[in-house]
Amino acid sequence: MESNTGNPELIMSEFADDPDMCDLVREYVGMMPRRMEQMTDAFEHNRREQLIRLAHQLKGSGGGYGFPILTDKAGKLEHFLHDMTGDDLAEADAEFRALLDVCSKLAA
Amino acid sequence: MKQDLNNDTDDKRHSVLVIDDSEDVHRLLQARLRQENIDLLAALDGRTGLAIAEQDSPSLILLDLDMPDMDGFEVLRELKDGSSAHDIPVIVLSGLHSPADKVVAFDLGAVDYVTKPFDLMELRVRLRAALRMSDLVDMLARLAHVDGLTGLWNRAHFDDRWAACISENNRHGRPLSVALFDLDHFKSINDTYGHPAGDAVLQSFAKLIKRECRASDIPCRYGGEEFALIMPDTAPEDAKFVCDRIRTELAALSWPAHPERKITVSIGVSGTDKSVAVTPEQWLEDTDKTLYRSKKGGRDQVTAIDVESGNMVEASAKAA
Repeated sequence: MESNTGNPELIMSEFADDPDMCDLVREYVGMMPRRMEQMTDAFEHNRREQLIRLAHQLKGSGGGYGFPILTDKAGKLEHFLHDMTGDDLAEADAEFRALLDVCSKLAA
Repeated sequence: MKQDLNNDTDDKRHSVLVIDDSEDVHRLLQARLRQENIDLLAALDGRTGLAIAEQDSPSLILLDLDMPDMDGFEVLRELKDGSSAHDIPVIVLSGLHSPADKVVAFDLGAVDYVTKPFDLMELRVRLRAALRMSDLVDMLARLAHVDGLTGLWNRAHFDDRWAACISENNRHGRPLSVALFDLDHFKSINDTYGHPAGDAVLQSFAKLIKRECRASDIPCRYGGEEFALIMPDTAPEDAKFVCDRIRTELAALSWPAHPERKITVSIGVSGTDKSVAVTPEQWLEDTDKTLYRSKKGGRDQVTAIDVESGNMVEASAKAA
């Protein structure tokens, strides 16, 4: 696989050099476009519970795969969605975009 | 509790059930706990997790709290509330960090709480600690059912298992036999050669029963010089055959502490090859009477009856 370490935009896993983890991390990163699609779909169709669940799962798994920033951003979105009083998910736009941005930069 | 008298927990491989709705977490745990001496079972929702816990009796459960449909709190509640899996230790592995969530989880019976994202070393040592504690609890429960002198199951265990075997016989009509053994003139061994010699006889006889019975049989020290052997799935004819072999082998043993004195045993057997409506107490009383017949008949013999008819039965010709 081509190395991504030269690109400062990309977020490398803390376990990129761990032989026990590299295949797993690659698989995790490989599934990220699908996750982003699911989150975007939930966001655009105002499905708050679904978005909370997706964010919650990324929060729980991100750090374990060596992406603490993913846990941080997913946790912020989940927290915001839990606390928001209105019904329009557009209120969470900033947190949502921040999470998508991190997801798009993950690299094994 | 484990039903194996030779249970050894030192190098035991544990199974750990992970209940978590995230496949990422399952994959991660599979990879991260590969070095541990455990087999991982996986459930993606609470209901499936409960079913696996009941069916496979894992050594430990790692439980997520925030799951759709049935959350981890509900799983804990059901698990601890009358489920046959209620004594399986549970470590909560959750992204919920609030003290209130931890308090509720511990109140519901969790033994530990690890937050996600988890530190690998921390999870490993907590897992090992919980498994060690679970082994100790198992061992204590087991010791409470084992006779200290002979290593056979004790009377309390006999009472538990006998009732369970009778109910199994009643439900499914499976053959069942029980034997009571009484070492002949045992008091005179103690009186003549001392208690260490008497203890050696009890221990040797226990070894002999253990060696001769099948893994599914339940050998117990019933009290003093009396022993009992529950033989599930065994008709009285076959039970008599086994007991006769035990009797013969005992009579052939030589005893370093008293070479001039042989040891013999009288045995009463009762059993059935079909479902019978006899209470556990009545069945034992009938067995005791057959044992008395063996004593009365001159000792060093086996008497066996069909528990329903009361008719004497002969040993089967085949090897059991």
